[in-house]
Amino acid sequence: MKKPIRPPRLADRLFEWYCNRAAVEDLHGDLEELFFLNLQRMPIWKARLFYWRSVLSMMFSYALKKRKRKAAYHHFSTNNSLTMLANYFKVATRSLAKQRFFTTINVLGMSIGMSFSLLFIALISFLRLYDTFHVNNDRIYRVNSMIDDRVRNNEYASSPMALGEKIKHEYSGVEEVVRVSTAFSAEAKYETLEIPLRGYFADPAFLEVFTFPLIKGNKSTALSKPNSILITEKAAVKMFNEQEPIGKIITLGGFGDFEVTGVLKDIPKYSHMQFEIVSPYIAWETYRKNSEQQETRSPWEEFRGNYVYMLLPEGHDTEALTDYLTSVSREVYTGNEKFSAEFQLQALNDIAPGKELYNEIGPDWGYASLSIFGFLTLLILLPACFNYANISISRSLKRAKEIGLRKTVGGQSNQIFTQFIVETVLITLCSLFLAYGIFLLVKPEFMAMLVSAEGLDLDPDAITIICFVLFAIVVGVGAGAVPALYFSRMNPIQALKSKAPAKGVARISFRKILITGQFALSLGFIMAVVIVLKQYRSSVNYDFGFNQANILDVDLKGVDPLLFRNEFSKLSSVESVSLSSHVIGTQGSSSIWLKSVQQSDSLEVFYAAIDHNFLPNLNIEVVAGKNFGENLPDNGKYIIVNEEFVRQFKLGTPVDAINRTVVLSDSAEVIIAGVVKNFHYMHLREPVRSFFFQYDAKQLHYANLKIHSSDMLSTFNDLEATWKVLAGDLKFEAQFFDDEIEEAYSVYFVMVKICGFLGMLAISISCLGLLGMVVYTAETRTKEIGIRKVMGASSFQLAIMLSKGYVRLMLIAAMIAIPITYVFFDKGLLNSSYYRVEIGVVEILISLMIMLVLGLATVLSQTIKASRSNPVDTLRYE
Amino acid sequence: MKGYLGEFEELVLLTVASLGEEAYGVSIKEDIESRTDRSLSIGALHSTITRLEEKGFIKSWLGDPTRERGGRRKRFFELTHEGKLALHSMKDLRDELWKISKSKLALSR
Repeated sequence: MKKPIRPPRLADRLFEWYCNRAAVEDLHGDLEELFFLNLQRMPIWKARLFYWRSVLSMMFSYALKKRKRKAAYHHFSTNNSLTMLANYFKVATRSLAKQRFFTTINVLGMSIGMSFSLLFIALISFLRLYDTFHVNNDRIYRVNSMIDDRVRNNEYASSPMALGEKIKHEYSGVEEVVRVSTAFSAEAKYETLEIPLRGYFADPAFLEVFTFPLIKGNKSTALSKPNSILITEKAAVKMFNEQEPIGKIITLGGFGDFEVTGVLKDIPKYSHMQFEIVSPYIAWETYRKNSEQQETRSPWEEFRGNYVYMLLPEGHDTEALTDYLTSVSREVYTGNEKFSAEFQLQALNDIAPGKELYNEIGPDWGYASLSIFGFLTLLILLPACFNYANISISRSLKRAKEIGLRKTVGGQSNQIFTQFIVETVLITLCSLFLAYGIFLLVKPEFMAMLVSAEGLDLDPDAITIICFVLFAIVVGVGAGAVPALYFSRMNPIQALKSKAPAKGVARISFRKILITGQFALSLGFIMAVVIVLKQYRSSVNYDFGFNQANILDVDLKGVDPLLFRNEFSKLSSVESVSLSSHVIGTQGSSSIWLKSVQQSDSLEVFYAAIDHNFLPNLNIEVVAGKNFGENLPDNGKYIIVNEEFVRQFKLGTPVDAINRTVVLSDSAEVIIAGVVKNFHYMHLREPVRSFFFQYDAKQLHYANLKIHSSDMLSTFNDLEATWKVLAGDLKFEAQFFDDEIEEAYSVYFVMVKICGFLGMLAISISCLGLLGMVVYTAETRTKEIGIRKVMGASSFQLAIMLSKGYVRLMLIAAMIAIPITYVFFDKGLLNSSYYRVEIGVVEILISLMIMLVLGLATVLSQTIKASRSNPVDTLRYE
Repeated sequence: MKGYLGEFEELVLLTVASLGEEAYGVSIKEDIESRTDRSLSIGALHSTITRLEEKGFIKSWLGDPTRERGGRRKRFFELTHEGKLALHSMKDLRDELWKISKSKLALSR
């Protein structure tokens, strides 16, 4: 028998699926009738094709759209009525209250996971305000420069000194050009008071472009006189106390006298410019002209600390300006082989947060560091969410009957979904309170870790709080989606039979993967802490090859070094005084200075200037030859080199090298007077290379005092008194050598803190998740445990049986985490340091132990309890 | 514009009127197609019908189930009073324009 011809099945199904609950009986009928009509007119295949076309046209028609919309609001399917939500809320609170233990675990885990995110949100919410208080903030631009000096090619936020002037004179399309220099920082003196202040030199239009409000003074004339100065309210109070600041004359270091012409309101923290004083740019130019150390660099090559801001007219055209800047760069730097720069425009609103630039004017918030921060946030938050999903699903048995009943009496699956989402959101909202507590607790510590923290205000405002709440809701929906979906799909028959719904292998292994992943993450953080701590300690305690103990480094600040040495040697507590051009062994000082020595080839050589006391003072061992003599006139002809120097220049043994001649780059011939043992003159990141000491009184900027004293306080008073005589009002800046070294490597310590904090969060979340799982397993296997006990299993055997699986997971986690962390540190982070610690078995074992102990403590606490239970009770347990 | 009547809408309205008791999706489509010699997509037709119903120019009801069409009911349409008014005003407008432009519209050269 021939089958009756029917319209294409697939098209029908597609149509029905698409229409869902909408009433489309008549439309479907029309389609079918049309099909049979067409059958009489055309071949079957054409009619089928036509049917497809009609179905599609119907699906995109307004008629269907309307009917679907109507169906969505049908009374039967509505799921967002307030009564129902209230009911969900009630049910959720009841079930949460009933399962107190799991609620506590969930809330704890979520709050720990969320606490770090709150920091991130507060930070982002703070950054959103950045620089928005300037009235014309959308029209202000800055010129950035790509500086290429043939050694480095970096993008700087600053731009050459001469650029601002050129734009002002040549380009008509800008309203204002403001040059800003950050060089203006000095000791400010008023009567007897002396306070360090820092600020900017800026063109008078500064206050037109940036609307920093003036409390006192006239905005248009405040910066018109070359010796005028604006001062912030806070600085004014520091300087003049209650007195009227306007008209006061203050002396600023080498810059001369300035008259206060205005008081600025304190600079908000969310400004990328942070300053206390502003003076006209002309004062800076004058100072440079008069200053003796006027360098020979052209104003087109001097760019550090110099910024150009522009106010563009309404409806501005940045493209033309960019083209102009390109042409300037081409015009100025063509033919210059040593230096070139390309200019780019950056809108004020893109500065912070913005891309990473060198030489930023204020605190910088680069996208890169922000995204790392965001990534870490997710790394902490996601495991917490997974935990929640994990625990909820594994407890599905307890809720199965409720869901089955709901479904039987007509609960739609999306209603069940909403119910569980509401429950999760409730949990995350509870967690928010706790997380907020943690947030307040760690906030100061966190801010201390950040480099640019001083310009940071994380106290949440109303909008931030709203963001927090929204965040909690979003997390709730996100974390609740998986279990809610799972519950809403439950088959009511199975659910009512209270049978565990067919658990696929997939889900079990999914759960295991989650736990393993969490532990791997925790182990990674723990290892990071252990490794970095080791690196830090070894750097600080490293044998630098010279004596650091009891050596006090003093910044000479231009005081005559020889005078200093004479005066300070007289003090009883000072054993000896030596002088040097910088503090060796740390990074920040002006140490890295290349000079090539021409023999056959020129090589890169580092050097420092010292006096004759330096080597004995720091216990640097002379292997051959001799030290510089005391005050000999021909000291300048001699140098003292290190062993590496001898090796690299192939001078034979150290003894052979004595009295050999080398030529410095300025073609001065010098004779090697002595050879010292290799020591670390630079940061430990760098290897020891060729190095020599020079005797040059002009370059001595630091004094190293060997202190011999039991009473540090009085010693310091003596030192300061002597300093006052020599240097007058300049501040006495001294630091012990070991402190200085410690400071130079404090970056490791900051890392330890951050990793430690993250590791703590990660491990707590993992342990909480584990706890939930173990408790659940123990609960569901009560009967099995009882029967095993009756059959003669000992408590010990049972505990082992229950814990075995989890220990295996932890070991797998270790197998994943250890190689990854090892490679990360070995090839990545530590590799940037030349003298670094080796990651040994000990470190790995310590980290592993910490994780295993914490994990095992969690597991055993529950399994032992379960295995000890009396089989009579447990078998009766129903 | 609430009362605006498009060309196709007018066509559908008039066809519904002409079909009387037998005006439903397929019959309207067939009728228009045979008279105007243009092919319609059933989706577009139903879109227009839905809009006309929204505007209140036609009303509809479901017929009784029959053995045709897989037992699915037909939806029949009928003009409302507003629909008639709209058609009338459209016709008046047309007539007036025809009257005014009589000389220019003459087909002879």
